[in-house]
Amino acid sequence: MSNRNIAIETVSLVKTYTAYDRIGFFKRVKKRVKALCGVSFKVYEGEVFGLLGPNGAGKTTTVKILSTLLLPDSGDAYILGHHVIHEATKVRKLIGVSLSVERGFFWKLTGKENLKYFGMLYGLDGQELEQRVNELLEMLGLEELGASNKLYEEYSLGMKARLSIARTLLTDPPVLILDEPTLGLDPPSARCLREMLVQLAHEKGKTVLITTHNMFEAEIICDRVAIIDKGQILAVDTVDGLKRRVADVVPLEITVYLPAQTSIEHLTRILKRDTNCPVKIFPEEKGHRIKILSSPDEVDETTSRALKSLYDQKCNVRKVEVKQPSLEDVFIKLTGKTGFR
Amino acid sequence: MSFKTLVKASFAQTIYFLKNVKAMLITFLLWPYLMLGLILGAGLMFGSTASFKQNIGLNVDPIVFFIASSVVALISISLMWGVAGSVLELRWIGALPYVILAPHRFSITLVVSYIPNYLLIASLQILEFAPLIILIEGLEIGLLKIAILFLALIVGMLPLMGFAALFASFLISIKEESNILAWLNPIILLFSGAFYPAYLLPRWAQFISWLLPSTYTIELARLSALIGAPKLSTITFMIGVLLGMALVYNSIASALMGAGERKALREGIIE
Repeated sequence: MSNRNIAIETVSLVKTYTAYDRIGFFKRVKKRVKALCGVSFKVYEGEVFGLLGPNGAGKTTTVKILSTLLLPDSGDAYILGHHVIHEATKVRKLIGVSLSVERGFFWKLTGKENLKYFGMLYGLDGQELEQRVNELLEMLGLEELGASNKLYEEYSLGMKARLSIARTLLTDPPVLILDEPTLGLDPPSARCLREMLVQLAHEKGKTVLITTHNMFEAEIICDRVAIIDKGQILAVDTVDGLKRRVADVVPLEITVYLPAQTSIEHLTRILKRDTNCPVKIFPEEKGHRIKILSSPDEVDETTSRALKSLYDQKCNVRKVEVKQPSLEDVFIKLTGKTGFR
Repeated sequence: MSFKTLVKASFAQTIYFLKNVKAMLITFLLWPYLMLGLILGAGLMFGSTASFKQNIGLNVDPIVFFIASSVVALISISLMWGVAGSVLELRWIGALPYVILAPHRFSITLVVSYIPNYLLIASLQILEFAPLIILIEGLEIGLLKIAILFLALIVGMLPLMGFAALFASFLISIKEESNILAWLNPIILLFSGAFYPAYLLPRWAQFISWLLPSTYTIELARLSALIGAPKLSTITFMIGVLLGMALVYNSIASALMGAGERKALREGIIE
């Protein structure tokens, strides 16, 4: 991997925002919010790289700096060797950016008209523009959906997401920077978009940087993943590499129905005390999923302790499984936090 | 990267809007006459057409006088909204980052891309009033006045763009999404003498009107095209003032727009 050319590089990026807390009608108190605390990572040409972290971790801030839309307080960032601050115009020609899949187009223009407008804004013209726009509408399946001549305001979220990706590809840039590209999409649309991104990287040689808080997504499409939390990169590796970091634990998953009077916090405390292992509880559609990270030689002991505790708490146990480590387990181990899905 | 595609982008966008939103097209065509009706109606509340002539001290047809006012007022509003208001509009729809990502300076994108829109609106509105002017003034004088009015609008556009870009730089540098322009525009037009000649305003208001480029555009349009045949020196003076203001306002706007953009980039308010 390291022999490949670097497409994106960040070096010790630091960014602090000024925010205000309103007190009454006139008064407000200034506060400094640290968004990035020395973020460094490298993305190689032709790979899908995921920046994985919860809301407020610093993903969007990093993406905005790389897109030349935000200046860092300190540190450097490069796109194909060009500095994002000092060579912003050059960088803008090398990147396709999508910051939101549900906004960013003119509502009263059709998808095709929107793409033509942005194409012209980015320097395309005449036959070349017409051809490129048609090609992208075809490629992203918008033509097939009959969406190219529909007003943007009539688009479904899935169509909007496709159009957003189409815009990033207008000038055929080598680097794509996408902030939460599948956020809010229904599973088929999300899957379709993910396949498209992998295709763009692996077949067309594009470098794709995506941010996501969806571990499943990161696991299935990213060649490498950086885990970011509280403005810091906690780990950068391939998905398998990251999973190896939790080879010393076995994830035990128990699905339960919690009695109405039992809170997640209370049950977490009890299970932690009784099993002496990291415990996280995730509310799910049907019941609650309890994840306990046990050491491999104590799985049986941990399971019986956990089940006894759950019985004492009058929880209705539906399923007990011993799982393979996932990115979620990596995240729990690295941050000690509840994972995010 | 040529300006040609930038200008074409703006032109295409305007045409697409008018094509897709029929109500907007109808309003766009009716607006000049509605504005003329409003100005005339407001004027008649304060006195007859004879008292208007007496007030301004010239023997002019008030309808023709207000046609010039309406055209200039509408186009000034449109220009202010087109350049400065587009920052708000782009922010509202979330397209601002993608326009900023165009490989031009944002101020250039914003100002240059508005030129075709301005020319289109100016041409259409003058054409709409052409039959009325010709009906009142006769074919020969009517056509001459229409031509001079158009010229005044072209020259007047230059400082107005810089002026509008100043507001744009202000709007981009603050995380403000209220439509400040909606109440600012009528005040600017009032000080510029769009409703009543600037020299009829109080002295303090006249001072403000001297600083506004729209004042000279309005005066030039009226003097040259509609109030008879002013001396060549007067027209030259007005054009000189407008060109001078164009230089001043555009230079200041260019510098401030860059500063506004940098502040927005620093504070992360481009969304």
